[in-house]
Amino acid sequence: MTGSQAISILLDHKLVTLNRAFGLLRRRNLPIKSIAVGPSASPGLARLTIMMQADQATADRTARQLDKVVGVREVAVFPARDGVVRELALVKVRPGEGRYAELLDVALLYKAGLVDESPEAVILEVSGSEAFVLSFLRALERFEVLEVARSGGVALERAQGAASQFTLTSETV
Amino acid sequence: MTETLTGAQVMCRVLLEQGVDLIFGYPGGAIMPFYHALPEYAALRHVLVRHEQAAAHAADGYARASGRPGVCVATSGPGATNLVTGLATAHMDSAPVVAITGQVSRNMIGRDAFQETDIIGITQPITKHNVLVGDVSELADRLREALAIAQEGRPGPVLVDVPKDVQNQKTSYTAAASRARPVTGTPAPAPAGNGWASELGRAARLIGEAQRPLIMAGHGVLLADAYDELRCLAERTGMPVITTLLGISGFPESHPLHLGMPGMHGEVHVNRAIQQADLIVGVGLRFDDRVTGNTAAFAPRAQLIHIELDPSEVGKNVPTAVGLVGDCRQVLRQLLPLVRRRDCSAWRAEIAGFAKTRTEHYRGDLSPEGILRTLHEVTDGRCTIVSDVGQHQMWVAKLFPYERPNTHITSGGLGTMGFAVPAAMGVRLARPDEPVWAISGDGGFQMNMQEIATMVQERIPVKMAIFNNGYLGMVRQWQQFFHGRRYSATPIWSPDYVKLAEAYGVPGWRVAEAGHTADAVRAAMSVPGPALVEFVIEQEANVFPMIPPGASLSEPIEGEPAPLVPA
Repeated sequence: MTGSQAISILLDHKLVTLNRAFGLLRRRNLPIKSIAVGPSASPGLARLTIMMQADQATADRTARQLDKVVGVREVAVFPARDGVVRELALVKVRPGEGRYAELLDVALLYKAGLVDESPEAVILEVSGSEAFVLSFLRALERFEVLEVARSGGVALERAQGAASQFTLTSETV
Repeated sequence: MTETLTGAQVMCRVLLEQGVDLIFGYPGGAIMPFYHALPEYAALRHVLVRHEQAAAHAADGYARASGRPGVCVATSGPGATNLVTGLATAHMDSAPVVAITGQVSRNMIGRDAFQETDIIGITQPITKHNVLVGDVSELADRLREALAIAQEGRPGPVLVDVPKDVQNQKTSYTAAASRARPVTGTPAPAPAGNGWASELGRAARLIGEAQRPLIMAGHGVLLADAYDELRCLAERTGMPVITTLLGISGFPESHPLHLGMPGMHGEVHVNRAIQQADLIVGVGLRFDDRVTGNTAAFAPRAQLIHIELDPSEVGKNVPTAVGLVGDCRQVLRQLLPLVRRRDCSAWRAEIAGFAKTRTEHYRGDLSPEGILRTLHEVTDGRCTIVSDVGQHQMWVAKLFPYERPNTHITSGGLGTMGFAVPAAMGVRLARPDEPVWAISGDGGFQMNMQEIATMVQERIPVKMAIFNNGYLGMVRQWQQFFHGRRYSATPIWSPDYVKLAEAYGVPGWRVAEAGHTADAVRAAMSVPGPALVEFVIEQEANVFPMIPPGASLSEPIEGEPAPLVPA
């Protein structure tokens, strides 16, 4: 069944290793929704989160192929519903004449932060599930949105009770 | 003991320390420090090829024949890019090749320097791993790792790119105590655990219960040296054995349980057996599209047990009932005691009923079948055959009875024309006591025939056979079957191969009649050095049967298509 799948990878924090991982995704023509990368808890290792719209088998296969990349240390794959998936969005928006308070109301409703303010426009910051972020962006459509930067999903698997936990080792395949 | 050496000397020392005593290469600007150091290490034999592509294929041939890493060396830029086809070939066929390339000096990288190319970027998708060495202090370890990674688990090519100034840098070198072992180790198939034991048990039960089981054996059997285990499994159960193109010579063809090659040019009874089977035990193969045809219609009644070293192959192309990830030999050894003794005689009788007597499709008396039969008789089967790509490759795969392990070497996955001649040089150097025949078509031979010079200079006695039909025969066959006989760009002129051989100082014979085949083969075998035999065969001979691309294994073309009716 197709759904949102998360692949969470610990890998060497080097451009060449990241390039290898991305190259594999491109070569295999995989249905990638987003890619997010940043430092992990371990020095020298990055956490790469790939969100894909695919069935479980495709996600498992992708994980196994990524696991072969030299420099990849750990791969976990899980359906998005079995983990916590969040993304962050920054939105530069021009409220329009006399509508500043209205904009602030919307921001408050979505617990969005006002992180920059200038006479021309403001920058709002929101984080949450993909659906939540999309809903926020829709709510802002009635103002003049100038620019949007979204991080893509970062995800961690739930610590316990994850029914379909799948961590790669040779014997579980 | 620690010594101070240049990077170039470190490269030579590490190769020797890791057991490499033969490299194929071609010098050039950015690899000159390495070539400057090379004469100091007499134990490291260098074979000067005539084109870097041949260095990569020769290293590949050496690796496949010896099971040890094959090493090739080239300079930056065009030297490195000329390796690409050879590396891609090794990548598709899981051969442990290590390529060492020179790179422009570090301060020039990224400035479009003379003979600079981003060979790391270029070879990333066609190597198992590649690395640019950033400093001489890490050079020895990167090279040791490269050799280890190439061999560990599922083998594959690794490229090490060494900037010229790194080759000139001085460093302290300490010999490694031992050969580099695989960084992660060959995946052990049997970590204790109920999961593994129950999967093994399930596989054994399926094998015990199946009415129409088959074994499909691939390259993994050769790579894992699992010949005896495969044979035990077959004999214990009576399951017939199919060998894929790269699995050929993994199971003796005279064995009563041997069935043949499957897929696009597989025999009709083999493909029919697959379509009727209720269980397929795949051992060390990846269910490539040339084997399965249309996967949706592949083996529709069968469940699959897949024994395979690379976990990412299990379930990739076809759904699997049981996946056993591990070295084929180790997995089979664990599986064998659980499999109950049985015999599949009724099923084998059924398959025998599918078999048809082969009809000769060749006009003229010099048939590919006859040539290969004669070659087998004259050599008594004691030779290794390296084939190229095309029609002759299918004939060589199907019509020569392979009895001894790993005596059939070919470019399967990438289908690289021009592979046979250079690869055979590597095979011969790996097997100094074995007659080695490089069999090519007239197209593929002309792609790398410059390597005759290498054979002469380096005294590598490869015997070359050319199946000359004046066409790029396999493409012509497709044009005949699927493109309305429009023979676009497939007629191909050849030089006088006997004179060509003579120009290189090599004896050559042209055979146009079946009666002369044995004499020519004997004559070629009797000279101590390289020799060439050209066989002038029927121009429009076809390879039968043939599954049209994308069709199912149940839809073979078995004979000449009806002539086109002019519209």
